[in-house]
Amino acid sequence: MRTSLNEIKLIDGYIFNSNRTEDALLFDALLILNPELPDQVMWQKKAHAIVRQCSRKKLKAEIEAVQQQLFENPAHQSFKQRILSLFSKQ
Amino acid sequence: MAHDSNFGTTPADREKAFITLYKSAFPTVAKYVSKMGGTFDEAKDIFQDALVIYYEKTVTSTIEIHSNEQYLLGISKHLWAKKFRENLKQTPLDDSEIDFANEDDLQPSAGKLMHYLETAGQKCMEILKAFYYDNLPVNKITEMFGYSGIRSATVQKYKCMEKVRETIKQKSLAYEDFVE
Repeated sequence: MRTSLNEIKLIDGYIFNSNRTEDALLFDALLILNPELPDQVMWQKKAHAIVRQCSRKKLKAEIEAVQQQLFENPAHQSFKQRILSLFSKQ
Repeated sequence: MAHDSNFGTTPADREKAFITLYKSAFPTVAKYVSKMGGTFDEAKDIFQDALVIYYEKTVTSTIEIHSNEQYLLGISKHLWAKKFRENLKQTPLDDSEIDFANEDDLQPSAGKLMHYLETAGQKCMEILKAFYYDNLPVNKITEMFGYSGIRSATVQKYKCMEKVRETIKQKSLAYEDFVE
């Protein structure tokens, strides 16, 4: 694996606290030696935040599709009626 | 560490699991929201958010949940209380006792960035989702995306992370509020 990818792997290990002891020591040394590394850590954390947000959006779309299926497909009519009846007295 | 969850590995597996959870837990949650004076749409929104939280908890940790229904009801009650407090916050009271900021909330321009990545880097985002969000085992990911082996899949994961990281870095110059 090329150097920049190894660096990404080490940063991941640092972010998720999953580096083995020797990798954690190496990373601590790199943080001192490479002044750009803290910035790379920051960008990688932002990348993880974006991946999480995009993934969450996709999951929400899958859940919404399930909701539509349960409330629009006649096969689930009794379930739909059961839920809607809870709100009919409002 | 990746591990097997109740949600399987494919969208079809997840759909099956979500239907089961909807049928078993949504009636109780809807009953609770209705009792509290909420609407059907509020019950739906709260339950869907609870499902997301439940999913994220179960795929990333080994916590043992004895009753999915009770767990989802518990999350929903918490979300309802949070929503209620947030509504109160809109009154001009100095309500500063709790910080509701979500650590995952990103700046508005993150939406533009997400849209860009979802279209220009779709394959990468799918791979990263499988690794980091769905927490799927690497052998499953290798199979799903058709890589020749675990090593190729792992290298691709880091290449994609590099691509996303560099895109964010470049785009942040255009979307200045993202870097705040």
